[in-house]
Amino acid sequence: MSTHTNDSHDQAHGEDHEEWDVHAHISDTKFLVGIFSALIVLTILTVAVSRVDLGSANTFVAMLVATVKAGLVATFFMHLRHEKPFNTVIFISAFVFLGIFIFFTLDDLTTRGRIDPSNGVSVYARNGEIAPGGFTPIVTPEHGAAGEHGAAAAGHEAPAAGHGAPAAPAHH
Amino acid sequence: MSTASSTEHAAASHGHEHPKWLAHHFDSPAQQFDTAKLGMWIFICTEILMFGGLFVAYAIFRGQEPQMFHQAHEHLNWRLGAVNTIVLLFSSLTAALAVRQSQVGDRKGTSRYLVLTLLCAFGFLCIKYLEYTAKLDHGLLPGRCFGHPWFGDHCVGGGAAVLPAAVHGLSTRAHMFFAIYFMMTGLHGVHVLVGIGVLSWVLKRNMRGDFSKGYFTAVEIGALYWHLVDLVWIYLFPLLYLVG
Repeated sequence: MSTHTNDSHDQAHGEDHEEWDVHAHISDTKFLVGIFSALIVLTILTVAVSRVDLGSANTFVAMLVATVKAGLVATFFMHLRHEKPFNTVIFISAFVFLGIFIFFTLDDLTTRGRIDPSNGVSVYARNGEIAPGGFTPIVTPEHGAAGEHGAAAAGHEAPAAGHGAPAAPAHH
Repeated sequence: MSTASSTEHAAASHGHEHPKWLAHHFDSPAQQFDTAKLGMWIFICTEILMFGGLFVAYAIFRGQEPQMFHQAHEHLNWRLGAVNTIVLLFSSLTAALAVRQSQVGDRKGTSRYLVLTLLCAFGFLCIKYLEYTAKLDHGLLPGRCFGHPWFGDHCVGGGAAVLPAAVHGLSTRAHMFFAIYFMMTGLHGVHVLVGIGVLSWVLKRNMRGDFSKGYFTAVEIGALYWHLVDLVWIYLFPLLYLVG
């Protein structure tokens, strides 16, 4: 490859076309072991953080650490660092579409009750049991009363619009 | 691109004759390699979206019943989950090293790392087997027997209204957590099995001498698949075993 004088391939080089032979980046063994060590440290970190009560931040931190780990695997083990950028665009696009999927689904489920209070509830008024597929309703006095009877009531908070949240007494 | 007219000088100087593994609809080995990787990344995209449906289900049910999720997750063995995480991370390292050894033309090294990767895959499944059987014994398999040992005598009737001592303290709704747990880890487990098949095939071809410095596409693509299996588990572990 190095010394040939074939015109067409030299031109190809000059025009920055693809090369003939496969020239993939070869990672250093020690470097790969280093990435593995970082992944282990992050695994220990994620277990350690889960033992500390940070409230709702726990899930956020766990997902952040997982994303850093996934980033390391994709970037170095899967060679995205030395890959054509288009492959990275494809990979990232998967998460963009997943984000759209999750965002609009959760947005629908958490706000539907504001539009139509009777369209599904998270707790059955009759016995305080959690309703399958239910979601946070607009808070009314009846719901509040029912929630207190429930042995296994929903733990999530009512939407910001709700005052006197019925879910609060159920924490035990 | 290099046809019969160029073969007489090609073989002597720069080796641009068509290798037998170069499909004739590709201009060059580099183009063939890049095309294979492009296809694999698109496939990885579809895999992420397939798991995505389960992640959305997880988000919905955890959002609705966070306390139930917290209670139920304590019935999972986070130590075994952590060990499995390390096993998979290590297998990802050995898969990456197999690709590296293949790139430098070290056939034996490639085989060695592929075998290590496969051993880790089997190790992962063995630990998963221990976890699954424990869940079944504790009556945590969702369905008509939920609350009763799967192999016991009490697996009768529908929907256990009262959970027995083994799952005492769990809401009857906990079956949703275990449904999600078994579906997510089950689909992931299927991927581990497929990965074992793919890597075994790559190992067989490597031992046959199919690969060289200039052609290691299957090793690279097989390793990409295995890394995907690792990627999914990286998210499954904290979401299922370490619910805050």
